[in-house]
Amino acid sequence: MSNEESEILFELVKGRYGDRLTPEELEEVRKGVERVAETALALRGVKLENWDEPFSIFKPYRKGE
Amino acid sequence: MAPDFVFSPIRELAEEIRAGKISPVDLAETFLDRLESLGPRYNAVVTITRERALGQARLAEREIERGSYRGPLHGVPYGAKDLLATSGGIPTTWGAAPFRDQTFDHDATVIRRLEEAGAVLAAKLAMIELAGGGGYRQPNASFTGPPRNPWNPDYWTGGSSSGSGASVAGGFVPFAIGSETWGSILSPANNCGVAGLRPTYGRVSRHGAMALSWTLDKLGPLCLTADDCGLVLEAIAGPDPRDPSTMDRPFKYDADAPTEGFRLALLKGATTDVDEGVLANFEESLKVLERVATVEEIELPDLPYEAITRTILNAESASAFEELIESGRTSELTAPEDHYGLYARTVVLAKDYLKALRLRATMARTADEAMSPYDAVVAPARRSPASPVDEEFRRTTPGTARDIMGAVGNGAGLPSVSVPNGFTGDGLPTGVQFMGKAYDENTILAVARAYQSMTDWHDRHPPGL
Repeated sequence: MSNEESEILFELVKGRYGDRLTPEELEEVRKGVERVAETALALRGVKLENWDEPFSIFKPYRKGE
Repeated sequence: MAPDFVFSPIRELAEEIRAGKISPVDLAETFLDRLESLGPRYNAVVTITRERALGQARLAEREIERGSYRGPLHGVPYGAKDLLATSGGIPTTWGAAPFRDQTFDHDATVIRRLEEAGAVLAAKLAMIELAGGGGYRQPNASFTGPPRNPWNPDYWTGGSSSGSGASVAGGFVPFAIGSETWGSILSPANNCGVAGLRPTYGRVSRHGAMALSWTLDKLGPLCLTADDCGLVLEAIAGPDPRDPSTMDRPFKYDADAPTEGFRLALLKGATTDVDEGVLANFEESLKVLERVATVEEIELPDLPYEAITRTILNAESASAFEELIESGRTSELTAPEDHYGLYARTVVLAKDYLKALRLRATMARTADEAMSPYDAVVAPARRSPASPVDEEFRRTTPGTARDIMGAVGNGAGLPSVSVPNGFTGDGLPTGVQFMGKAYDENTILAVARAYQSMTDWHDRHPPGL
């Protein structure tokens, strides 16, 4: 995630919730978004194969079965 | 002066109860009185459930008198972290001011199973608000006040199962139920000098428990000994149609498993940057363990373990608390950083969450393969002892504070048990943890029992209590 992407996401948070937050709190939120971006960057750096899937498999549901 | 039995392990209490030497009603009265008189001193209790406790204790007494003994928890009081739903008008506050009047019309499955085992619910115990879901950085993050450590009330209990740790350490209850998403059982076990067991994900139903992160949340016991953790786990484990994560894999506690001949692994880097006192006690623990185990260093392949588990936690907690976030009522939470901590998590991209879930599968296979030759991975339970109750704890943690054990253990859903292994120069407890392969609770409990049979840290209790 680039700095630009992080800034866009921060602006999204600010647009949604900024009116509730003080400038100091907004600055903390910015740091929080940057941390989210850093963790995303770490994930994106790992190559997976197309067929590598999550453990959580959706199961169609029928009551009583 | 506390009665002798206040710091007795469940196994000993059970023998006395079964033999009619201790009355469950007297036992309940004693612990209820301690909860009332001592609990507030440590900010350990939210609600004392006196009426329900005495009703359950009287029933236990009658049943035992007529020979209907249910097992080792019959007539034994306990406390539950206040994120477990309880019926009968007893509040379930999640430790958070916006939910301080919240009630449910049902009992969580764990509460129900403990009732079926004959245990006596004495209190709902204090916890960090939303189980730490707001990203708190200080002990003062609960509407019941900063949880204080029975070993030194100027220090923190750890969290988020804070009251659970304090109440077992202080002899306010013989055992407690806590929850762990990432560190919330092992941290208070470490800081308070008690045993804490984080079971395998899906071992214990979370129906009726507050959700912080559906694919990371686990419920488990905090007790005086590892043996007691096994007794409690047997009572609360098992499949539950109301929690689809639970597995149809019965758990029978094996208290007679061999306690020698173990192969332990030490994760490379697990002792880097840990507190000096923690390191000294851990090295001493390894010397003790050499009498019953071999210890070999292992290294995990390079993967972003913390980023995987952190991304899952961020995304799921933003969804779990969506209503609270949108309402703006996070501003009513106690810790200032919890007022805004959840907002940043609302912008985790779906593709990054899914990448984390895909990498989790890689992480789980990697960890299982690395651990396959071993009975457990041994490590300090936490990198540092309890921090001062009036300081941001992340400032007091040494080094870069990486937590690979926590990231892998919780991300891959692996069980771990922490038991006390000494004290720092300041008189604060430290712990050693044994993390096992999935479903291997009996193995790690055997290692922990072996360690406790060679040490007496678990027989020491806070002075004056």
